[in-house]
Amino acid sequence: MPKKEQQHEILLEVKGVTKRFPGIVACDEINLEIRKGEIYALLGENGAGKSTLASMIFGLYQPDEGQIFIRGEEVQIDSPNEAVALDIGMVHQHFKLISNYSVTENIILGDEPKKRALGIFPYVDIKSAEAHIENLSQDYGLEVDPRAIISDLGVSTQQRVEILKMLYRDAELLIFDEPTAMLTPQEIESLLKVIKNLRDQGKTIIFITHKLDEVMEVCDRCAILVRGKLVDVSKIEDTNPREMAAKMVGRDIDFSAKRPAKTVGETVLEVQNLRVEDGTGFPRVNDVSFDVHAGEIFAVAGVSGSGQTELADAVAGLIKAKGGKVKLRGQDLAKLNVRKRSESGIAYIPEDRQSVGLILDFPLDQNLALKSYYQAPYCKTSLLKPQAFSEHANELIDGFDIRCARGAKTTVREMSGGNQQKAIVGREIDQDADLLIFVQPTRGLDIGAIMAIRERILDERDKGKAVLLISLELDEVMDLADTIGVMYAGQMLKVAPASELSTNKVGEYMMGVTDDE
Amino acid sequence: MNKKSKLSPEERELRRLQEESEQKRKRGEHEGRNLLSELNNALDSATRVLVKGLSAHKWQSLVIPLLAIFLSLATISVVILSFGSSPLEVFRSLLAGAGWLPKVNYGGGQSQLTDLVNLATTLTPLLFGALGFVVAMRAGLFNIGIAGQMVLAGFAATVLVGYSDMSALVARPLVLLIGIAVGALAGALIGFMKYRFNIHEVVSSIMLNNIFILVVSYFIKSYYLDDVSRNARAASAEARLLTEPIQIGEVSARLPVGFLLAIIAAFILWFFLTKTKQGFEMTAVGKSPKAAEYAGIKIGRTVVSAMALSGAMGGLAGVTHYLASVPSVAPDKLAGVGFDSIAVAFLGNVHPLGAVLAATLIATLSSGAVYMSSIVGVRQEIAALITGMILLFTACGGYLRAWIDVKKRNMAESDADSSGDSSACVASKVSKRENEVAAETEVEALQSADNAELRGGDGK
Repeated sequence: MPKKEQQHEILLEVKGVTKRFPGIVACDEINLEIRKGEIYALLGENGAGKSTLASMIFGLYQPDEGQIFIRGEEVQIDSPNEAVALDIGMVHQHFKLISNYSVTENIILGDEPKKRALGIFPYVDIKSAEAHIENLSQDYGLEVDPRAIISDLGVSTQQRVEILKMLYRDAELLIFDEPTAMLTPQEIESLLKVIKNLRDQGKTIIFITHKLDEVMEVCDRCAILVRGKLVDVSKIEDTNPREMAAKMVGRDIDFSAKRPAKTVGETVLEVQNLRVEDGTGFPRVNDVSFDVHAGEIFAVAGVSGSGQTELADAVAGLIKAKGGKVKLRGQDLAKLNVRKRSESGIAYIPEDRQSVGLILDFPLDQNLALKSYYQAPYCKTSLLKPQAFSEHANELIDGFDIRCARGAKTTVREMSGGNQQKAIVGREIDQDADLLIFVQPTRGLDIGAIMAIRERILDERDKGKAVLLISLELDEVMDLADTIGVMYAGQMLKVAPASELSTNKVGEYMMGVTDDE
Repeated sequence: MNKKSKLSPEERELRRLQEESEQKRKRGEHEGRNLLSELNNALDSATRVLVKGLSAHKWQSLVIPLLAIFLSLATISVVILSFGSSPLEVFRSLLAGAGWLPKVNYGGGQSQLTDLVNLATTLTPLLFGALGFVVAMRAGLFNIGIAGQMVLAGFAATVLVGYSDMSALVARPLVLLIGIAVGALAGALIGFMKYRFNIHEVVSSIMLNNIFILVVSYFIKSYYLDDVSRNARAASAEARLLTEPIQIGEVSARLPVGFLLAIIAAFILWFFLTKTKQGFEMTAVGKSPKAAEYAGIKIGRTVVSAMALSGAMGGLAGVTHYLASVPSVAPDKLAGVGFDSIAVAFLGNVHPLGAVLAATLIATLSSGAVYMSSIVGVRQEIAALITGMILLFTACGGYLRAWIDVKKRNMAESDADSSGDSSACVASKVSKRENEVAAETEVEALQSADNAELRGGDGK
């Protein structure tokens, strides 16, 4: 950012803001000053209170204590609508778009320009809105077609639609909540460009993230939050990543838990020319072949929707393959249903832990026996044995550090996401299967749970299990994989040992870029 | 001071008056505000008690329906009072009509026992129907087709057994078996269509209701019509699910065969749903089909068998209705019991044992209605109105439950910082009291405000 000598105008001031939730103080007397025209990073681990703070600025939560000033005036922001009226906009981590509406329709929703035909009949003036959005898109270099349908757009374009939504409402202060979480390296780069561009055009940006390199690249100043407390605010020029990381975690931790594979054993899973189609006959998984060996983590990288989920479902038997073979220890699985496959040695941690991996309204002990409830000791001559359920549950609760308020009888819905995931991981590992499929095992979890689960994955690998890991987090793939397969548009574009691939290279394959050397 | 001395006495008087009226206005405001805040406090503590009392999950399923019943009786009391009748008298006579309380006098050969037997007879199909609905609902299926399953089973049993000359010992078990079999097939058909062709069970069961009643009507009108009643010919006494008249004291009564079976069925279903593998699978499919599939449960088989079981209960409701409660199968009309049982199931919290209590309540209201009407002189539809009210308030139970959860969370939140809260509360109470005084003289007000602050500070 070009250095300016004059005093910066303060756009947003947060004074002594505190927010408590039952059991925790999410934000503890936070004081911030955000100047007009700067990119201000809120840096912190998951659960540090970044999103809570941003949500209070955007009116989603109300602070228990403290004040918020906009342009020097104290304001009470009771709802997002009021925030929008104060020219504050927010891009959420999960986009809020209607997939079968056009870009323009999504943007004007709730704020439709109305006109009257012949002065009588009211209608929504899409045309002028489209023109306006096209102008905005050009001015800020967003390259979004206002007439495109959302479902036809990629993740990064959808994100730009969210940005346009804010610009359309004349937002001055733009809040980005972990905007890069779902993007590939290349997409991240172009997003950061867009953000810089917005700043240069006079917008003020709050950038929430836990990725240091992004902060270093675009931000002007950075506030670091640790467990709800503001520990540091510094100019980016005056600091370095190492210093920030130390402040952020309060200690030095090694994020790359990588341990090299000891010995790679025999082939456990063989996938040959697998083809999976969706309802319309479109191939979701197209002619995919690879092997996973005992004692090996085979990680599948790829942007969301490249066919990874379908691949995992097809191996686990949840969807039927249209062609090709899946073999486990040489045995063809084609004729086996989900239960038979599970019995023959496949454990599966599904992507959607809440609606697939667990029955949220069931108690923990029943969920922990979801794959084995029909066998002894849980079930004898069709009668369930509650005793066996709770004994087994207590073992796993201890063994996997599952925190639950009411022990084995806790309804899973009441548990936190991290503990729900620990429960699934515990249940699946407990099956002692030869092949473990992990899909997005750490998504949305806090750093403690992430480390615990990654540790488990490595442990299982070291015990000689074959692990098929599917993750959208490139870091995770790079950290854990022994072998990497990159999927793009349903095809396995590249399979190579992890040591031969750089992060950037994988990122390129994820975007479908192949250089035929 | 200077300015003031320049003012003329008139002006000074005017100002004094203005100030006085201003003070009076303030005082009034204060009083109003106090009353409001007191009311708020009272409401707040009342909700606290209510929330604390109701938040124990264990009892919620029992307390909330009871609360719903109480509220509906309170509401209906207002309606009855507006007719100029006594609500107590209405409720008493309803209970008497259903046999729970003695009537003023009885006809020849009748007693309170006769009424209780009649109650059991009307209750039986209602309970079977509700159980059918509960089973389907547990598996995530909305079986609106109970009425259709009833008429098909009732008609089949009437034709196959009722028109034959089998002895009672053979006929009655056979009627029950036919009820189970026909109902199960009709139910399984809905489940199969759902699984195989993805036809929603609500759509298919409504259509099948119509198909069944039209087919049955065609056969009745073509072959089995009774010229007097314009219904199907009555089944033989041996086939009807009522015992031979049994002499109890001075009265003789025909006891409903199905009543005990229905109660037993409720317990068996409860056991089945909570303690067996198949019950576990059905509940799992009902709660989360995706997770059930992931767990290796065969969705199709579970859906079909849940619907078959539901239909079997519907079939039993059919035979106990058409071969006990009413004289015979009527063409062109589905039995209202089939739909009432849906309401009963919901009132009973979609729980087999809850259904027993709910069915008893609803059957009491409907079977006491005629007597109530004749004694109190209000229309017998009042009973239906009570039923409707209860259902309305029961439907609010879900809202109440959510409301309690939210309140509980808020309370936990405010309790978390109650240490700071309580002192602030003391301070505000003190200052509130002081404010009243403050209105009297300004000087005092200033002092007391200081005091209030001091005391508030002490409190902390």
